[in-house]
Amino acid sequence: MRTITFRIQRYDGSRSWFQEYVIPYESGRTVLWALIKIREEQDPTLTFTAACRHAICGSCAVRVNGHSVLACKTSLDELLKVFQTDVLEVTPLSNFPVIRDLVVDWRPKTERLKTVKPWLIPTQAGSAATGFAQSPQEYRRIASPTDCIQCGICSSECEQLAENPRFLDPFILNRAYRFAVDSRDAAPEEHIRPALESDLWKCLHCYQCVTHCPKEIRLDQEIAYLRQQTIRMGETDNPGARHALAFHDDVRNTGRLDEVTLPIKTEGLLRTVTRRLPFAMRLIRTGKVNPLQRPRPVRGIEGIRKIYAHVKEKEGKRQ
Amino acid sequence: MRLRYGFFPGCTLESAAREVMIATQKVAGALGIELVELEGWSCCGASHIQDVDEELALALNARNIALGEALGAPILTLCNTCTLMLRSAKQRIDEDEAARARVNEALRAADLQYRGTSDITHFLWVLVRDYGLENLRKQVKRPLTGLKVACFYGCHILRPPQVMGFENPWNPRSMEMVVEALGAENVPYGERLSCCGFHAVFPAEREVLRKTGVSCRSAREAGADVIVTPCPLCHMQLDMYQPDAQQQFAESIRIPILHLPQLVGLALGFSPEELGIRRHVVDAIPVLEAKLARA
Ligand code: FES
Repeated sequence: MRTITFRIQRYDGSRSWFQEYVIPYESGRTVLWALIKIREEQDPTLTFTAACRHAICGSCAVRVNGHSVLACKTSLDELLKVFQTDVLEVTPLSNFPVIRDLVVDWRPKTERLKTVKPWLIPTQAGSAATGFAQSPQEYRRIASPTDCIQCGICSSECEQLAENPRFLDPFILNRAYRFAVDSRDAAPEEHIRPALESDLWKCLHCYQCVTHCPKEIRLDQEIAYLRQQTIRMGETDNPGARHALAFHDDVRNTGRLDEVTLPIKTEGLLRTVTRRLPFAMRLIRTGKVNPLQRPRPVRGIEGIRKIYAHVKEKEGKRQ
Repeated sequence: MRLRYGFFPGCTLESAAREVMIATQKVAGALGIELVELEGWSCCGASHIQDVDEELALALNARNIALGEALGAPILTLCNTCTLMLRSAKQRIDEDEAARARVNEALRAADLQYRGTSDITHFLWVLVRDYGLENLRKQVKRPLTGLKVACFYGCHILRPPQVMGFENPWNPRSMEMVVEALGAENVPYGERLSCCGFHAVFPAEREVLRKTGVSCRSAREAGADVIVTPCPLCHMQLDMYQPDAQQQFAESIRIPILHLPQLVGLALGFSPEELGIRRHVVDAIPVLEAKLARA
């Protein structure tokens, strides 16, 4: 008889260990089915949370073989096929304090969520009596971000958060975005500025959040939007914005990135000279970088500049 | 079999990662893969221009793709991020008619038109899907027997799967399959799907250097001789910044980093010098000399 072995990370409040459970294989089952079966038939002390079983309450997220999933939505057959195995390791979400076994503590996240004011700051355009009408286009902007079920998978997968607890969880950035783009919201800056102040530019572009989000929310595009807005707000005096602007300007100049001036544009001449010299010397020594060799304008640079002019003109008109 | 691609080198192949250009041309020549460089290509935006102006990023990459379409060939890149940027633009334009109309209005200023006729692919995918591992195996002149390789995929060849879609991003196998075809030995380790952090090395220096160190240490402790990556940006992060990352660790994290085309080139019989391996910050030559038989 084919079986599946679950190695589940246990935690009793002080001690942590892996415990193995073997269950008979059944086709067409989910991770949550297996967890419930183990609890009911083998070990009533195994602790995890779940409620809706329909990928809607967001309470059943765990990690399987290092990847965060909704237990109720994730097919065992899929996992066994992807990992070519009959052994699955189940651990609690990363980047959360663990309370017991697979249950994590949401309270610190909820506190941080408040910083982006995850509520509507209403415009004068409507009232409680008349309501706030939105056009279909206006609604479409908030449709995807509103799909978030706060399951914590993005937090668990975020590679910046793993190194830096100051960084806001992707679902919190999603919430800031959701209200910042809402046509009924009068104060987008009040949602965006707290994100900026919590290391918005430190997102690594690793796309782990987007890859694992059970609702396929394009958090990468939302983060890009928040960054664009901070630049529009005049917040350009930081390494992240200066770095992005350097690319933006270099391509207009020559069509290519100028690696030699990039650090200076990003960090300033002083910091570059005082901090980057050993690094620069290392690159010059191995022949990686030749400070005298700089990009010349590519063929068709006039066309590129016309594209810039065209896009900027349209954007001016649209605003 | 005649494979022909519009070649999009990306900025790093012209500067800090020139060795990838050298190695790729050697390997493509030996395998009979024709690479026609797109004339007048521009920076893909490197995931940064979109943070300033999304519409502009879209139009610039539509221009790049249109250059490839004019050649009537698929576009091949060597850099994960270039691949992602070009594929993202293509997907957006192909799915959104209004975006396509706007982009083509912008391109008219440059006498170009986006048609949607060229696919965008990566050197790794070309080896596996177009050239074929069986054919590659037949070209091996010096099997890399005994060389222990840790594959480091890099984010933008896998994620987001909605845009990349070549293989399952949770357990990809393409790199390992190439390594195996070349006769080398795969070494499993914890960080093979991690982010190198390159895109945030300025704003998040401390975090990124730590990640660099953890990735290198993890491969080293697993017993790998080298890390190999299909992305020149991952290479820059893991190689050029390795001495800086070392400062955050008491134990040695030292491990040489090879570009995928260099690994292929070694198996095809080219010398490390011919593949630009002398240009690396972390010297890979001693371990290659110790492990590899003469071609
Ligand atoms: S149980 Fe509600 S989302 Fe899984």
